[in-house]
Amino acid sequence: MEKMNRRTFLKYSATVGATTAFSGFPAILRSQPKEILIGSIQPVTGVIADVGIGDRRANQLAVDEINAKGGIKSLGGAKLKLLLADCEAKEEVGRTEAERLIKEGAVCLTGPFLSGVAIAIGTLCEARGIPFVIDVAAADAVTQKGFKYTFRCFPTSSTLIRNIGEFLGQIVKERKANIKRIAVTNAGDLFGRLQGKAFVDFVKAKKLSFDAEIVEHIEYPLGVQDLSSEVTKIRAAKPDILCPVARPGDAKLLIRELYKQRVELLGIVGPGSPGWYEPEFIKDMGPLADFVMDNAPWPNPKSSKYKEINDRFAKLYPGKYLDGNSGYGYLSVMVIADALERAKSTNPDALVEALRKINYKDNPMVGGPVQFTPNGDNANAATALLQVLKREVKVVLPKEYAETSYVFPQPPLWKRG
Amino acid sequence: MEKRMNPALVVQLIISGFLMGGVYSLIALGLSLIFGVLRVINFAHGEMMIWGMYIAYTILLLTGIDPFFSLVVSAGALFILGYIVQRVVVNRIIEFPEAMQVIAMIGTALIFENGARLIWGPDYRSPASRFALSSIWIGEIMIDVPRLLAFLIAILIAALVFLFLKYTDTGKAIRSSADNRLGALLVGTDVNRVYAVCFGIGTACVGAAGALLVPLMPLSPHIGPPFTMVSFIIVILGGMGSLIGAVVGGLIVGVAESVATIFLPSSLKQIVSFTLMVAILLLRPKGLFGR
Repeated sequence: MEKMNRRTFLKYSATVGATTAFSGFPAILRSQPKEILIGSIQPVTGVIADVGIGDRRANQLAVDEINAKGGIKSLGGAKLKLLLADCEAKEEVGRTEAERLIKEGAVCLTGPFLSGVAIAIGTLCEARGIPFVIDVAAADAVTQKGFKYTFRCFPTSSTLIRNIGEFLGQIVKERKANIKRIAVTNAGDLFGRLQGKAFVDFVKAKKLSFDAEIVEHIEYPLGVQDLSSEVTKIRAAKPDILCPVARPGDAKLLIRELYKQRVELLGIVGPGSPGWYEPEFIKDMGPLADFVMDNAPWPNPKSSKYKEINDRFAKLYPGKYLDGNSGYGYLSVMVIADALERAKSTNPDALVEALRKINYKDNPMVGGPVQFTPNGDNANAATALLQVLKREVKVVLPKEYAETSYVFPQPPLWKRG
Repeated sequence: MEKRMNPALVVQLIISGFLMGGVYSLIALGLSLIFGVLRVINFAHGEMMIWGMYIAYTILLLTGIDPFFSLVVSAGALFILGYIVQRVVVNRIIEFPEAMQVIAMIGTALIFENGARLIWGPDYRSPASRFALSSIWIGEIMIDVPRLLAFLIAILIAALVFLFLKYTDTGKAIRSSADNRLGALLVGTDVNRVYAVCFGIGTACVGAAGALLVPLMPLSPHIGPPFTMVSFIIVILGGMGSLIGAVVGGLIVGVAESVATIFLPSSLKQIVSFTLMVAILLLRPKGLFGR
């Protein structure tokens, strides 16, 4: 490159000055943002980095789709841009990162997979007056703090519990299964603890359509490395079914220990948690992954929208597919875009108003159109009962979404090794 | 409650804990050796173990060689890594106050953890290996084969390390540098090289332990810190720098954590090791085998 002398320097700076004067300033005067910043806070490092990265990718997938279709039309085709942050699966980090994104100009935040982090960010958004559209976080408490700026696309923990109750009732009725003794395990993070306890309370309050008792309830820390003694205790309790609230790491530990210790079960039925439907679980556990059931928010297998976005996702990230978590990661950004479109502004209060009135029908997930209740929950969010069959995750209940019928009782683990 | 106290359950928990304790011992042995000689606490210990795990995992994936054999490669690779880390990082901070050493070591830990994430990705992996799912039954009691093998190999490696330190010239040089750095320097020992070799042996131990754990637990780049913590507890409990203390301490912590699940929720498991540590320090302030 030739050396820059005084004359060329003047020429360049004149050009730059002119460009700024003609294009930059009027843009500010019109107050039409060329780029709308959306903050995505996910746990992309730390004990559940795998899920966090999946959610971030899904957020980006939706942003790319909006931009490819011409951006936010009511704002002059303004493009969306995702500002990335990592909450490291810690509440305090989530809060400081949210603060940073707001300072950098994010008009709306999404994330953060963990309910504890969601509350921390929700509290901050309340103070700063910035809308927060949660993609994944299930604990009821998140939307029961009177937040005005927080909305949640994901089903709540009580929806999960109510649905698993119905699914179990249906299984007992249809297959005449003799489920009397239930063992529950959960990871010790906020969601795991609340979900495990909620399910235990649900059974103890005799809300199941059949008569059953909790014979063992075990909690272990998030990121646990060894579950042999816990499984020994489960075996001693002689349960009919095991209902685990897990995370990807401990799900694998649990299933291997159950196999090795030959715990006799009619089945494994997750009340609602990750761990049981990820490609890594199925690939690594092979025959042991088969027949596991899990109650989870999930893409609607009969939706053409889902097929289209899943194809794009799988092409970008070979070996992966859109699941309940990444599905909602996609949905939350689409919801934000829909609200921006109708608000015709990035003003936080206009945005919140548009979110309150939302009726987003193009939902690729199991459940109805996205509509928010006064406390910010998605009124039509639902769950499906999944079962791994021939190394593939299939929706088996409710019937309207089912791809195939389910297998119960599940064949014993140790006869498959 | 009496249902939970059934003897088969207790025996089962003691056996599982004891076998796991063997691997803990090997991890802690590395930490104790490094501390005993260099007087530096390797806060990147658990993170280095992850690299040992991933190396064995990669070999298993590419060639199908079981981690119980490829642990030699893991240990060798970690020896080289440890040697380099000692030369590049540890050697520069060896005379610093502890608080400053900790910062450099935690920095190293972050590099190892996130380096593993960049190379191998964040997903939890549990590769299928030959022994991963086998178990032996003696009546009501189950003995986990990979755990038994891990225990036996870990104890064997620990014994080899002992023999190495006792009978080889390098081993003697390491011990003399630990006893009296100045004295060793005066008689012409290349203390810097001895330190690097010693750090390498310490990390090789943890690398081998990592390979042994591959069939036992899902690996992800972020599972290191609890292992750093537990090995630190073991080393304090056994006596800082005492190798036999690390081995015995590992077995004690393994059994205690396992048996404690009868009385305590599993999420409080770590309380047991900490309580044990405090109790032992009250009775023997320098640890079980500390001098």
